Amino acid sequence: MPHSFLVIDDSKLHHQMYRLIFSRGELAASTLYFATNGREGYGLLAAHPELTLVLLDLNMPEMNGLEVLERRRAEGLHPHVPIVLVTTEGTTDDEARGRRAGAWEYLRKPFQPADVERLIHRALAEAAGAS
Amino acid sequence: MGGNENPFGDLLQDYVLECLPLAEQVADTFVELERRWRADDPADAVIASLAGRLHTIKGNSAMMGLAPMREVAHALEDACGLLGQRPDRRNDAAAALLVTGGGLLADLVRNASPELDPAAADRYVERVRQWLASDAAPAADSQPERRQADRRAGGGAAGAEKAASVVRVDFRRLDAMLEVLGEGLIQHSALAEAYREVARRGGGSDEMDRLDQAVIALQKTLKRLESTLMETRLLPIATVFGRFPRMVRDTAEAVGKRVRLVQAGGETPLDKAVLDRLSEPLVHLVTNAIVHAFEPAEARRRAGKPEEGTMRLEAAPQAGRVVIRVSDDGRGLDERAIRKKAEALGPEGRSDESIPLRNLIFLPGLSTADRVSTLAGRGVGLDVVAGAIHALGGTIDVETAVGQGTAFTLSLPVTLAIVRSLIVEIDQERYALPLAHVAETVRAEPDAIREINHRGVAQWRGDLIHVADGGAVLGTGQSRSTPRRFYVVMAAGGKRRGLLVDRLVGHQDVVVKGLDPELGRPDVVSGTTILGDGRVACILDAVRILEGGRRAG
Amino acid sequence: MPVDNARTRDALLGFADAMDARDVADAAPAPGPELHLLTFALDREEFGIPVTQVREVIRVSEITRVPQAPSHVRGVANLRGRILAVVELRSRLGLPPAELTARARVVVVEVRGRVLGLLVDAVSQVTKVPQASVVPAPEEVLSGDSDYVTGVARWQSRLIILLDLEKALAPTE
Repeated sequence: MPHSFLVIDDSKLHHQMYRLIFSRGELAASTLYFATNGREGYGLLAAHPELTLVLLDLNMPEMNGLEVLERRRAEGLHPHVPIVLVTTEGTTDDEARGRRAGAWEYLRKPFQPADVERLIHRALAEAAGAS
Repeated sequence: MGGNENPFGDLLQDYVLECLPLAEQVADTFVELERRWRADDPADAVIASLAGRLHTIKGNSAMMGLAPMREVAHALEDACGLLGQRPDRRNDAAAALLVTGGGLLADLVRNASPELDPAAADRYVERVRQWLASDAAPAADSQPERRQADRRAGGGAAGAEKAASVVRVDFRRLDAMLEVLGEGLIQHSALAEAYREVARRGGGSDEMDRLDQAVIALQKTLKRLESTLMETRLLPIATVFGRFPRMVRDTAEAVGKRVRLVQAGGETPLDKAVLDRLSEPLVHLVTNAIVHAFEPAEARRRAGKPEEGTMRLEAAPQAGRVVIRVSDDGRGLDERAIRKKAEALGPEGRSDESIPLRNLIFLPGLSTADRVSTLAGRGVGLDVVAGAIHALGGTIDVETAVGQGTAFTLSLPVTLAIVRSLIVEIDQERYALPLAHVAETVRAEPDAIREINHRGVAQWRGDLIHVADGGAVLGTGQSRSTPRRFYVVMAAGGKRRGLLVDRLVGHQDVVVKGLDPELGRPDVVSGTTILGDGRVACILDAVRILEGGRRAG
Repeated sequence: MPVDNARTRDALLGFADAMDARDVADAAPAPGPELHLLTFALDREEFGIPVTQVREVIRVSEITRVPQAPSHVRGVANLRGRILAVVELRSRLGLPPAELTARARVVVVEVRGRVLGLLVDAVSQVTKVPQASVVPAPEEVLSGDSDYVTGVARWQSRLIILLDLEKALAPTE
């Protein structure tokens, strides 16, 4: 089934990692969008209401993940699109704050491809259950 | 480490590509911090700027399963976090701790592999833990807040702007593009040649004029493309200069001297190929200077010099070249001692007053690094440095004043015109034939070449081709008693011709240097180059050689 | 086009012989301004050029021939990474070609902003001669294309023919 995903992360290495993850199995048919900063990512999010899931890195210069979430909540942009806040170990405060700002879930680094797949399945299940 | 292979193992190169520049910046920043603290500058902003990079390195290393890097980055994050809040702990010991860690992290990233020995990293992390614990730590929960604030401040707006408008391209792809372009230029030559043929026979017409214009326009476009592509290969010389702050500091410390490094002109652009070959000779020059040029502290004090020696690394563009000056305010070169040593080398090194110092100093066996120390890099002499610079198509010169210091001036081409060539020998002289025009090399069997209409002819891949004597074509050969042993089949624009040579020396990338105007405009020579042994060799113009055959017959 | 070098050469050698015959004895150094010269030998004659034009002196061993270069160019050499054209001064001065000995040298000069090498038979030390010891060259030598001789210095039983390199190296074609 054709799904689309958005990755917002300032690390090109992480883009490569996500590409790798999304090249396997049933995810291989997905469409991927990439942004290297919060501002760019926000624009892509606005342009694609059909996104299945967004992977949003917390630590980015200029406009970080938290700020992206807060802006989305303030502007009421696509509230149905689940956004996963990707954090690094030792930031439990950020995770709590993220949830309050509207993150659907968080993903802690280092993560495995299976962790991403699990999140996607949950997101799809919830979307199916909701409708 | 069990059978758990990291799923992103294939991305090791990408990891290094992304994290090594960051790690090196961090390491350099630590060296900078040390200087600032010594000068009583707390440098708050500098500490804050590190947080983002360390965080990225940590996260990336964690994702790649590279525990040593992750641990060291984490330890450095903690150390910086404390130092950010506690100006009272900013001292030499703390700085040394950071500088060591920065160097260690960069080394780990540079040599990234899943089988890396964690011992060094573990030892360092333990050191940091002890340093952190050797003081009443501030309230535990205020730390994460602080780190978060640092993260938001870190990175820099400029960096993000740049990142958005920059594309990372593998350098090999640029090389491949240039190669294809090179082929295009050769094909254009063939096209132009064919046009000239047709024009000669058919005379003028509107179509011919349009064709002519098109051929000319194509060449202009290809040339523009070439220079644009060459520009993409330009990098600021800071990429090479970048490693020196740390290197100077470490080397100076190891030999018990105090040296500060002043750099200028880091933004000067140079082709990556030049930069790659420049690094090592520069390192040798700087190392030699630190080890041998600077006097110990008391000697400097007595001479009225500041105890801290100054090393300058300055680059500037100059009329199509780049001039780099490596200078020190050390003891200078003892001209008399050098001349004496030159005499000892025999009649070759006669210390004739008319032979200036700069010529003597680069003779093998006469370098200033004649005392072999591990730091002077296996006793690498100035002759090796000079050889490397020459191979680049550059020049190196020296000025010195006893008691005041020494300055080496390097002049380098901004880009390297490099031609892969076949080196051949004709009448005891070596020549370079661009490989692009070499179809094959053939052993000249005794009866293989027959004479038809006073010209040599041979069978080659089912065709009859003309074979000319190399010495005759170049106008250098005297009559020979023994026949030449090989012929090189040269090809351009559909034409093929053999050139008889004495010896095939080998393949080599040669740096193209121009023709001195005094040489006039020799027909068959397109340029000169300096071979590995220092001798000059002429680069032959294949197209001219191929045309020559027709003109002769 | 080479000038009538045979005539020039004869005039030069004749003049030198005539000077020899007058045999100036060694004298104490004369007072007054001095010329600093680098002197070198070609055949039996000694020539001098201002030392200010000389950058350095190097050995001959590594001159590479350049096919189809003009006849007065011996070849090129590697001067610390820079390609140096080496000129055969003999041919320019009308002297016959000769075998090189171990004493042959290349004098690297800078003339009119250009750096060139001059192939010579041997190089002496830098010499200082009093300006007063310089005698103008004979008429036949100064005429036509041979105006590269500016004078002759008679000094300590040596006869040094002073060259104007700019003129000597000017293109003859």
